[in-house]
Parts: sequence; structure tokens; C-alpha cells
Amino acid sequence: MKLLNQPWIVVAVAIIISALFFMQMKQKSRMETDLDKYMPQDHPAFVYSDQAEEWFGINDGIIVAIENQKGIFNTATLDTLKQLTRRLRKMEEIEKADVTSLYTADNIVGTEDGMDVKTFYKRVPASVENLNELKHNVENNEMTFGRLVSFDETVTVIIAEIKDDVFTQKFYKEILSLVASYETKDIKIHVAGRPIVEGTMALLGPADMKKMVPIVLLVITLVLFIMLRSIKSTILTMAVVFFSVLWSFGLMAAVNIPIYAVSTMIPVMLIAIGVADGIHLYSHLQLYLRKNPEASKREASIDMLQQMWKPVAMTSITTAIGFISLLTSQVYPIKYFGIFTAFGVLMAMVFSLALIPAGIMIFGLPKVKKAANNKSNTETGLAYNFAAKVLKRKSVSLFVTAAIIVLSIVGMQKIWINSSFLDKFEKESDIVLTDKFINEHFGGTTTLNLILDAGGQKDVFKQPEVLKLTDQMQSKLENDLEVVGNSFSLTDYTKRMNKVMNADQEEFNTIPDKQDMIAQYLLLYEMSGDPENLNKVVDYDYAKLNVTFQLKSDNSKALNSAIAIIETYEDDFDKHGITMNYAGSGYKGLIFTDLILEGQIMSLILSLIIVIILLSLMFKNYKIGIIGAVPIIITALISFGIMGFLNLPLNTTTALLSSIAIGIGIDYAVHFIEQYRINASKTDDQNLVAQKTMAHSGRAISYNAIVVIAGFLVLLFSVFPPNRELGALVSLNMFTSFVGTVTIMLVLLKMSNVYFKKSKE
Amino acid sequence: MKTIQITTALIAMIIAMGFSPYVTGQSLTGKQIIEKVYNRPTGDDQTSNLAMTLINKSGAQRVRKIKQFTMDLGDVEKSIMFFLSPADVKNTSFMNWTYDSDQSDDQWIYLPALKKTKRISSDSKSDYFMGSDFTYDDLGDRKLEDDTHKLLREETMDGKECYVVESVSKDDDYMYSKTLVWVNKSTFVGVKKEFYDEDEDLLKILSIKEAEEVSGIWVIVNSEMKNIQKNHRTTIILSNIQINTGMSDSKFTERMMMRGM
Repeated sequence: MKLLNQPWIVVAVAIIISALFFMQMKQKSRMETDLDKYMPQDHPAFVYSDQAEEWFGINDGIIVAIENQKGIFNTATLDTLKQLTRRLRKMEEIEKADVTSLYTADNIVGTEDGMDVKTFYKRVPASVENLNELKHNVENNEMTFGRLVSFDETVTVIIAEIKDDVFTQKFYKEILSLVASYETKDIKIHVAGRPIVEGTMALLGPADMKKMVPIVLLVITLVLFIMLRSIKSTILTMAVVFFSVLWSFGLMAAVNIPIYAVSTMIPVMLIAIGVADGIHLYSHLQLYLRKNPEASKREASIDMLQQMWKPVAMTSITTAIGFISLLTSQVYPIKYFGIFTAFGVLMAMVFSLALIPAGIMIFGLPKVKKAANNKSNTETGLAYNFAAKVLKRKSVSLFVTAAIIVLSIVGMQKIWINSSFLDKFEKESDIVLTDKFINEHFGGTTTLNLILDAGGQKDVFKQPEVLKLTDQMQSKLENDLEVVGNSFSLTDYTKRMNKVMNADQEEFNTIPDKQDMIAQYLLLYEMSGDPENLNKVVDYDYAKLNVTFQLKSDNSKALNSAIAIIETYEDDFDKHGITMNYAGSGYKGLIFTDLILEGQIMSLILSLIIVIILLSLMFKNYKIGIIGAVPIIITALISFGIMGFLNLPLNTTTALLSSIAIGIGIDYAVHFIEQYRINASKTDDQNLVAQKTMAHSGRAISYNAIVVIAGFLVLLFSVFPPNRELGALVSLNMFTSFVGTVTIMLVLLKMSNVYFKKSKE
Repeated sequence: MKTIQITTALIAMIIAMGFSPYVTGQSLTGKQIIEKVYNRPTGDDQTSNLAMTLINKSGAQRVRKIKQFTMDLGDVEKSIMFFLSPADVKNTSFMNWTYDSDQSDDQWIYLPALKKTKRISSDSKSDYFMGSDFTYDDLGDRKLEDDTHKLLREETMDGKECYVVESVSKDDDYMYSKTLVWVNKSTFVGVKKEFYDEDEDLLKILSIKEAEEVSGIWVIVNSEMKNIQKNHRTTIILSNIQINTGMSDSKFTERMMMRGM
């Protein structure tokens, strides 16, 4: 209260600290685009996958596809392939030895009396005869045909593996402009692959947010102005939001934590939650001034703080604790998201309670216009009417709520989890179309690595039974699943050598029956082909095997369907002492999404319990705790239910949204209950209590909902689909929280009779 | 892929020094230096045991033991090698005939499990020797006229006064755009060699760790080739070296490959 005498000091302190945080942000803020950094490094699945990636040099590849509708076996196309292969090898970001194309591949073929090892070409063939020979060689080598050259011979690919953390938008543009320079009337070149999808996604989402957030803020400011009818109030409320976001990101920068993709959700949360404090304070102030038009700004501020500090503090602390429950997540970016959102929420509380009164002291009270008075009369009438009707027709609320709960639970059954990155892009975007194009012509752009581990027993993967079993499994997946386009392992080399050493007869395209034979073939391959190739499929001791499956989709359904079939071989491999593990970015994405969801559901339940306990303590009644949680539960249920019905999968963005249900649900419930309690202490007329509460808190809540919904609907115009989903779901959550609070919660409040019993006693 | 003439190869490539008449007061050209290296005597025949260790980037090792025989028949050089271990490839053998003329090498392989000898033909000199980091060319199967040689400078390497000679391939499509070799001035034995790939990036470094004089001829007995780009290396250690034992030409036949040592 003393601070009311020194408003400038409050403002100055806020601005100075903000300036310091801003400088921290300028100096230290950086985006984290390497998705591996998002993963919990000590999770066993990731530890194993990382090791396996190291053992076998498993890296994601950029795929450059050269297309010529007239066929690729002509001098111009082959020259382009050669030039591009060489140019890509020279790029800094690309591991030189890990660029594969027809130009780099070996062609090992069987002859009448032996074996012939050649490159497909070094010098670009010019004569018809040489071109035909090359064509023949490609068609007869199953290691190449369908893998590096499409079966219809109109597309050939270069696969350039890159390290996890080198992908930048600049690098992508460089590649795009490089390939563009080789395009001609006949030759079209496409670029795809997981690094590009991941990299673009990690950049596109936040970039789109950066563009959209100012518009969201603008719309919110406008609507806020329409609601509050005061420039001063609007500016101060927005200042609260602005400062809390700035402080969150400033603190993040100060402690050297990078900005993750999920961090872009922090402003979203703070906007939705931060405006609430201001709206409730100003709403109270307006109502107070209406009754006491002659009050001084000091009196008005003091009344506002006295009446409102408690609900503002209660909502903020409960919300903050709700977010802190995200610390239980195993995923660091989510932990950070929880901590910094909690911090922002608390700061929003401090700013609301300090800056807004300070602002009033400095700039004066917002004017209560006559026009607004008329409006407020109709508003109050509306609120009174509404409250009366709700209480009169309790059964409607109860029935509708029950129906919604049932429907939502039905809808939730349909929810599926999607770790796909590609599904986050527009169906017609270049990235999706290119991916589709390559999937149509080749095995698939997504890889799943199965690591068979004999636990250190040497030479297990030279045993014919083991290789035959592996081969069987590979065929099973390729035949049974449309989505598995190709598979690749040591079996393919073994079969190839067997065929080659038997004069290229197709009936020898099998795994030999003797271990010595397999060992000798592999030795021969090592001596004749590029020995690095074998290192990618088997370890030095022949105790670990890497089986690569190529999938035409990166969504969780596809990966899980492949894993389901693989698992049917678990017992067979177990008999040989072999265990199954998985590796690669696709699999890690799958596990990662599961972890996020698991953590999210855990923290949702945990924070619900915390909220119920906190509310019970704050209002000294467990019933109130449970009633207060009702809007949260309904909001979360409806949100998930609708996602189920609309076939929207749960992913990292949509899962996080359940946090907003809590943050907003608490706000609404606490303000409403607190007003209800205060009003109930003044009168025994239950209807009047409800009506007064509706006119006070109900009004503020509706303002809050309208403002935020209007703001977030802007995101529907986003170019990045996940951000559109975000906008729609935030708006939906605001709406259901609001409706839930003023209907079913009010009904339950009345039915519980908590405050009236008390007041009667 | 080609068979082996490891001894000859190693000798030719690296050893050349023990004896060459030291030309005093007269500065040598790059080409003359390399010629002296290539033309170092290697004896008429050689027998040795070879232990080849492949070490991958995670430090895992594969060790192969081989017995090898090499013979210089004037216009053709013949070699044969038998695997001693690992057990499942024991008695697998390779034979290689290299010609002084432009004729490409003749190669055979015998797989005991298949019980057949097969001919292997290869259009590439850039094949890796037994899955190691050495190619056949690295092991000496390279002709003087294939490159343009230039003496870059003279400097001390590993405490030895060396010529540094750059050899640029005349064939644009050859796997090495150039090599740099440090040749011991007093002995004409190589000390170190750098290999640059077709994009002129450093690909491999050969280090000669130990040379030994056998029957008056210098033989490199311990060398390491490291592939910088793949972070993979190979060491080759020779033992039981015998030179000029009076080997017979009849040792180098398909029948002998099948019969074993």
C-alpha cells in the first residue's frame, strides 16, 4: 500500500529490470533447432539408439532426386548426377564419405568364371553402347535397382548423410540453389529427407509464431479496449502481459537456456492467463466506481487491491504450481516450459498488483462514461437473468454436462498419438509433395533401424539360421506392409555375393547354408566392395546387426505397424540369445512423443490433484476444491474429445494445451468462487448471490474469454498447421472454461450449499 | 579387387632407399626422386607373415593373419596369399599377377567353402586391399608416368632430412588428385605420405613406423594408414621375412591356391 505513494518507483523498477532482461535476451537468446537436444539423453531407448547410431554410422540423409521423364540413362542426366554428387561432397555440412549415388556405388557382378568389380561409371558414358551397358548393369543389380535408380528409370537419387546439428536454413537454401542451377527443361531436381523436414519444422513453427503473435496481441488489445473502454486500462493490462513475457524469456536467456520449439507456447500461455489479472482488477474497479463515482484514485486503488489481491494471488499461485508440475516430465524443454511459464504467471501477478495501481496513481482513473453506464446496466441485467435461469434450470446444466462428458470420453477413444513431422506441414507444401514423390519412386524417406544384439557373442551374425531368420523377417515386412518399401541388412550382401559367385544365377540369391561360406563371402565382399558398406550393417565382431527398414510415412501408425510385425520375431531371435532394440530418428521421435504425452498426462493428473488441494485449503472446504476443479476437468475432456472426433492427433503442441485448460480453468473458478463467497457472506438470498457474482466475476470472465478467443482466432490464419490447431484449441478451451464456470460450476456451488450453511450458522 | 603383392608393394613404395647411389652436389627433380623410390630393389622373391589390423572409429579391431609369397619374374610380378586366421576364412587364398606393360592385373580367389577358384576382374586400381585403408596402388602398383612429379621443398620430418614431392595424377578421374610424399634424403625411403581425394581434400595419411634390413634390402615392417575422412585405420606388420629364397614360378598357380601352403 505504501507503494501507492511512490508509483513512479514501481514503474521505474519494472522498466529497469525489464531493460536488463531485454539486454540478456539480445545477447544470449538462441533457438535450439536440433531435435536431438530435445530428447532426454539418459532415457534407455535414447542411450541405446545413440550408441547404435555411433556403431553403424546411422545418420539421417538428405535425398536429392534427379528426375528425367525421358529416362535417366542419357549423358546429360548422368553428368548432372556426377556433378551434383561431387558438389554435395564438397559441402561443409556433409560427411564426404557418406554421399551415395550411382556415381559412387560399386557394381559387383558374377561372370562365367568369376566375379567382376566395377564402378557403374566414372567418366560419363557418351555412346549409345556404353549407356545401354550401364542401364543393363543397373537393372541387374538388386543393390541398386529400386534403391538408387527407380524401377521406372525416370528418377535417380543422391543420399547425403549429415550430422544431427548442422542443418540450418542457410544450408537448405544453398542446396536448393545448387540443385536449381542444374535444372533444365528435361531434368527436374527434388530435395527431401528427414533433416530437411525436421530443420524446416523447427524453424517454421517459431518463425510463424513470431509473425502471428504481434497480430494476436494487436487484436487482443483492440478487443480489450472495446471491453474496458479505456486506453489507459488497456495499455496497462497489455503491459502486464508484455513484461511477464519479457521477464520469462529474459530469465531464460540469463540462465543460458535456449529457446525450444515448445517455448513458443510460453507467450501463448502468458497472454491467455496474463490478461485475466488485469481484466479482473479493472472490472472490479469499474464496478466500484459505478457505485462510488466520487472516490479518489487512491481510495479506488486501495479498494481494488483489498478486494482483489486474494483471488489474483490465489489464481496465479495455483496456476504456477500447475505448471511447475510439468517438472515431472522427462523431457527437458517441457520442464523449462513449465518453470518459465510458472515464473511468467507469478510475474504477471506481481505486475498486476503493482503496475496497475501504480498506473492508476500516475495516469488517473479510467473514465466511466455515461454510455458505458447504459451498457453496464444491460450487462448487469443480462448477468442477473442468466444467473437466475441457470439456477432455475439446474437439470439442463447437469444433463448437458453429463452428455458432454460421455461424448468426450467416446471421442477420446479415437485419439491417436502422432510423432510425424511431415504431418505438420500443409498437404500441398513443397516438402510434403517432394516426400510423396520420392516415396512413390523409392522405398521410403523414413527409416526405422532394428538393432539385433547378440550380447557380445562373436560371429552370431555369420550363422546361416540367424541370417535366414532375419531375411524372413525382412521379406515379411516388405510383403505384408504397404508402408514398408524396402529393407536392408547384411542378408542382402550375403545373398548378393552368393549369387555373384554362382555366375549370377537367380536361384543363388539366397543365404548359404554354411557359416564358413558366409564368412568367406563377406571377406570377399570386404576385399572387393567398399568395406564401409559392411560397417553400416554389422559390427566388427559380427555380434550386432543393423536392419534398416524404409517406410513411406513417418507417422506413428506406420512405425508402430512395422514394429508390431518385428516383435512377432522376438521369440525366434531370443532362442539365439539375440535381443531386439531400435534406433534412428524416426524411432526416437516415436518414443519422444510417447514420453511427452505420458509426462503431460501425469502432470495433468498431478496438477489437478494439487489444484483441488490448494483450492480446498484456500477456501477451507474440500467440496469447493472439487467444485473448482470441475471447469478444468470439463475443459480438458472436451478438448481431448473434440480432437478425437476431428481426428486431430495428439502431438507435442496439442498435448501441451491441456496445461492451458488448467491455467484458465483455475482463473475462472477461483475468481467466481471468491466473489460468490464474499456475496454469500452479505445475504442469504441464494439467487441474489449468484446474480451478483455473475454481474461481477461472470462479467470479468466473459471479457477475459472474449478477448483471448478473439486473439487466438487470429492463429487460424497461420501458415503452419500446428499453430492453426493451437489457435482453435486455445479458443475452444477458453470458451468451454467460461461456459463451464458460469453454468455447471455455479449450479454445483449452489447445490453444495457450502457458504449458506456456514452463514446460517 | 586385386590380389596381393604386399611385399613387393611395400618394398617398392616405401623402401627404396637402402642403397641408391647418392648423387652428390646434383639436385634431383621430383620425378627423379620418385623414380629412385619406385626402382629400389626388392629382391627376386619374398616370403613373409603379415598381420593386418583394421581399427574402426570406435576402436574395434579386426585382425587378419596371412602368409604371403611374392616373386618378380621380370615383366610380371606374381603373388599369392593364404589366410591363416580368422578360422572361418582359413585357407582362403588370393593370387595376383601384375604386368609391367599396360595389361591389367590377373586375379584369382579361392574360397574353401565353395571349393572353387574364381577369376576376379576389376577395372579399378583404387580397390582397397583386403578391406583395409590401403589400396593396391598405395602398395606400389603405380607407375612413374601416371603422375606429374614436382619437388616442392626439403624439410625435416621425424628427425630425417626429407624431400617433399608432390605427384599430381594425369587422369582427372583417378581417386587421388594428388599425393605428397616425404622421402628420406639419405636413404630414399618414404617417411610419410599424404593422399588427397578427387576434390583435393586430404583423405589419408601413411606413416612408416619401422623399416628393417633383410638380406641387404630394406623392408618396411610396420606401417599405418589412416583414413582421415572415415576415421578408420589399418596397421600392417610383417614378420618372418625371407628374401631371395629361390622360389619357383610353379608356386603361383590355381592348383597351388587350392592346395594351400
